Amino acid sequence: MSLAEAIAVIPDGSSIALGGNTLHRSPSAAVHGLIRQGKRGLTLIKTAGAYDIDVLCGAGCVARLVVAYVGFENLQGMALRFRSAIETEQVALDEHTCASVIAGLRAAAQGVPFMPLAGMSGTDLAPGRFHRVTNPYGEGEVVTIPAIRPDWAIVHAQEADSEGNVRIFGTQFEDVLIANAARHVLVTCEKLVDGADWVRQPELTTIPGFRVDAVAEAPGGAWPASCAGHYDIDEAFIERYYHVSTQGTSEHITAFIREETGASRALAVAAR
Amino acid sequence: MEATGEPFGPAVTMVVALSRLLRDGERVFHGVASPLPMVAILLATATHAPRLVYLNITGSINPTPSRLPRSTTDPALLEGTRALITLADAFDLSARGELDTVFLSGVQIDARGRINMSAIGDPARPKIRLPGGAGSAFLLPTANRTILWRSRHDIRTFVEEVSFATGSGKVDRVVTPLCVFRRDSAAGRLVVESIHPGISADDLAARTAFALDLTGIPTTPPPTAAELAALARVDPQGMHRIEFA
Repeated sequence: MSLAEAIAVIPDGSSIALGGNTLHRSPSAAVHGLIRQGKRGLTLIKTAGAYDIDVLCGAGCVARLVVAYVGFENLQGMALRFRSAIETEQVALDEHTCASVIAGLRAAAQGVPFMPLAGMSGTDLAPGRFHRVTNPYGEGEVVTIPAIRPDWAIVHAQEADSEGNVRIFGTQFEDVLIANAARHVLVTCEKLVDGADWVRQPELTTIPGFRVDAVAEAPGGAWPASCAGHYDIDEAFIERYYHVSTQGTSEHITAFIREETGASRALAVAAR
Repeated sequence: MEATGEPFGPAVTMVVALSRLLRDGERVFHGVASPLPMVAILLATATHAPRLVYLNITGSINPTPSRLPRSTTDPALLEGTRALITLADAFDLSARGELDTVFLSGVQIDARGRINMSAIGDPARPKIRLPGGAGSAFLLPTANRTILWRSRHDIRTFVEEVSFATGSGKVDRVVTPLCVFRRDSAAGRLVVESIHPGISADDLAARTAFALDLTGIPTTPPPTAAELAALARVDPQGMHRIEFA
């Protein structure tokens, strides 16, 4: 299946958990595909996002965010399209902390309505949103996080086979968790391989093919984010995007993505 | 921030001060956007804390990176690790009380050591939407102690009371370009522990929005030759300076 065909199946208004963390192994080719197809009304779920969240906000694809951090770390200033989308109330924000995103995903993965979470005292994020319950087995109370059940998880991995079995090298981040929590899973990979040899080390497969709806080969599919073992962050491209993001309109952003992020471009940049 | 009159600037003073706060053998974690803690941990490991356990979002344990990345969740931090844990594993460690020290920051830090990484102005309709606190709301109450750092020290940063508390909890120390604060557990407020070389008490008071008792405060001991040599070894590209760019 081509990436465009896989993206076409995702309806407007879907909630999507994105793999990776900040500028690392983000499913950028799929993000660009969502923008090219003009998706609207998406809910995005991630512990710590960067370019992926910002560019989808900038292109007008997003209605709601469930996130704990959106920023370019120390590579650029604040994420401007994210900022603007929240400040102008174009996008609603369920602000989380990373551990509460994980707790909500764990609840969904385990098929329960909420997950207890330690800590969460002393934060203005909790009151009125994250309810405390009495410990039914002993003393005290515990904060609970409601299940976060994404319609889709989108993961970019180094390798997958045609059955959708996935091998992630380096850090997994929350990718296996989002795949377990989501109703549907879309995987892109640097290389689509013959999985016949994988019977020798099936333990390296961390997302089994039967849970994966669609797999598409997308070399350079994390670019401009890094992909461990393949390429580093493209800092020059991030800087160019950041400059474009200062100008703002969704037409600007969408045109930039259409012109600058084709599959051949991703392949060439990632391979250099 | 200007040079202190010594042959090193605020980045060196801060990274050395952060490093000295770490204890040998303890488990230490930093998150995203944390160049100063990353270098401080490597510096502590290279000097007084060789048995420290260094944890970060890549899941690596005691990595020995041959180049230091600008992003502190970069695969460069995988180099040299013999095991990988997940971020969920690291949070679970903290939840069980087994994580000793975390490094966190705040766009605003208040007199009680509460941090704001969420919004300036009405949180429902912010004047400035900030990046968000990442792991802080959970880690501040669960890790055994938190060391805060901030590369800027002015009255917009060090405020009497944050308008929104993204998190608060077991803050132990706060390191800035001007001073080291510790939190007085009885009063629950930040007090100045030491003032960096070349910084005057008047300057510190003028650039802090909450009241400080500045009588008889010692000077932060300057970096030693051994610390400076170790810093040059662990961070030859000067990544500890990028928060001041």
